[in-house]
Amino acid sequence: MSKVNGKEVPRGLELGLAGCHVCEKVSPVAEVHCPRCGTHLHMRKPDSITRTMALLIAASVMYVPANLLPILTSRELGISTESTIIAGMVEFWNTGSYPIAIVIFTASILIPLLKIVALLWLCAAAKGLVPHSAKLLGKVYWVTELLGRWSMVDIFVVAILVAMVQLGNYMIITPGPGALAFSGVVMLTMFAAMSFDPKLLWDQLEREEEMPTSQPLPKSE
Amino acid sequence: MRRGGLGGVDTKGRGSQINATQSLRTRLSILTWPEPKGGPHRAICHYCDTVHVADPIAEGTRANCVLCGATLFQNRPASLVRVTSFSLTALLLMIVVHTAPFVDMDAAGLHTELTLPGAARALIDEGTPLVGLGVALFTIITPLILAGGLFYVCAPLIFGRLAPGAMFVTRWMSRSEPWNMIEVFLLGVLVSLLKLGKVADLHFGIGFWAFAGLMVCMAAAVAAIDKRELWDRLEVAKGQ
Repeated sequence: MSKVNGKEVPRGLELGLAGCHVCEKVSPVAEVHCPRCGTHLHMRKPDSITRTMALLIAASVMYVPANLLPILTSRELGISTESTIIAGMVEFWNTGSYPIAIVIFTASILIPLLKIVALLWLCAAAKGLVPHSAKLLGKVYWVTELLGRWSMVDIFVVAILVAMVQLGNYMIITPGPGALAFSGVVMLTMFAAMSFDPKLLWDQLEREEEMPTSQPLPKSE
Repeated sequence: MRRGGLGGVDTKGRGSQINATQSLRTRLSILTWPEPKGGPHRAICHYCDTVHVADPIAEGTRANCVLCGATLFQNRPASLVRVTSFSLTALLLMIVVHTAPFVDMDAAGLHTELTLPGAARALIDEGTPLVGLGVALFTIITPLILAGGLFYVCAPLIFGRLAPGAMFVTRWMSRSEPWNMIEVFLLGVLVSLLKLGKVADLHFGIGFWAFAGLMVCMAAAVAAIDKRELWDRLEVAKGQ
């Protein structure tokens, strides 16, 4: 039971009720499948923290080649130049296109990094390893889910450049192996965010509140 | 109470006007969020697991969680009509987006054009087929599932009918929603144009403007109906 203005509000876990992830209908979790849409019902996303951590580790590993390998190669008059994400950003900065350099930096470097750090923090908080405010971290999770897609912008830029710059002997742009690694990072962090269950933050908070008093809570009906 | 004379005509005239708008409203209000059988209906907060009694709320308002303040559900005004019109517009714009070029480029005496399928195909042809398929999935297939699905499901719902397989389609729509990256692609187009603008002559094509319109229509169509309302409507239509 959580308390709002001194009044107790029930949680789904205590009543054995689960909200369907697809159609939002609330049914007893014992029914296994949602009576309205047939989706599998569960109290919490299955193996939420394990899955999120596994995907995060994979994403962090991929983050290295994503930044070290070239995402595109341009061949101009027979001379090949390879360019990584960071090099592309630095080039924009040096030629005075500061707003674009900032957009690329935010979407391609800052957001994936912040996402990995934020999800690690959320997992640690849900395990009770760091003190947390569940309300605030719920908002952090919401932002993490919202921003994830924008990191794909660099991959789209590569696709557009490769499609347009096919000028025979004069200039040709081809995609590099970094593009695959980078889209891997973006997709893995998106899957990681999807498999995290923010309800675990509140579960942990309740466990912490129960511990010091160690008195049995009044049973809900 | 009848007063007669000019005033009476006046009120009558105004009255009929009110009736006209009212009849339009009543026609729209036939489409108010129906309540499925059974109950009490409940809503569980996605963030904190608090159980609420989900009473019907007025159009244009939202219900928030008492504990953590997250939105539980919203009642969007004229939802079905809006989803249907925006998704139909999005589908029509998609035809333009797929056929008309986004940008024309003249450089080194050569002329190249950018189209939406062309961007994905270039990656597939140039040795990164996986990334190319991803781009096609995020910019072509997912938006098509979303806009097509919303139209297919919501247009018959206006008449209280359930399209064949509507539940299946709706389930796939909610799965594909996070992977719709139309607006991200538009940002990508702008960034690449600034990159190429220094070395080549660029002209915006009809495809670009259609794509900008598509982005607005997709966002409006997805935001026009709450997931909960759509599923309540499906349940009611199925029961009839």
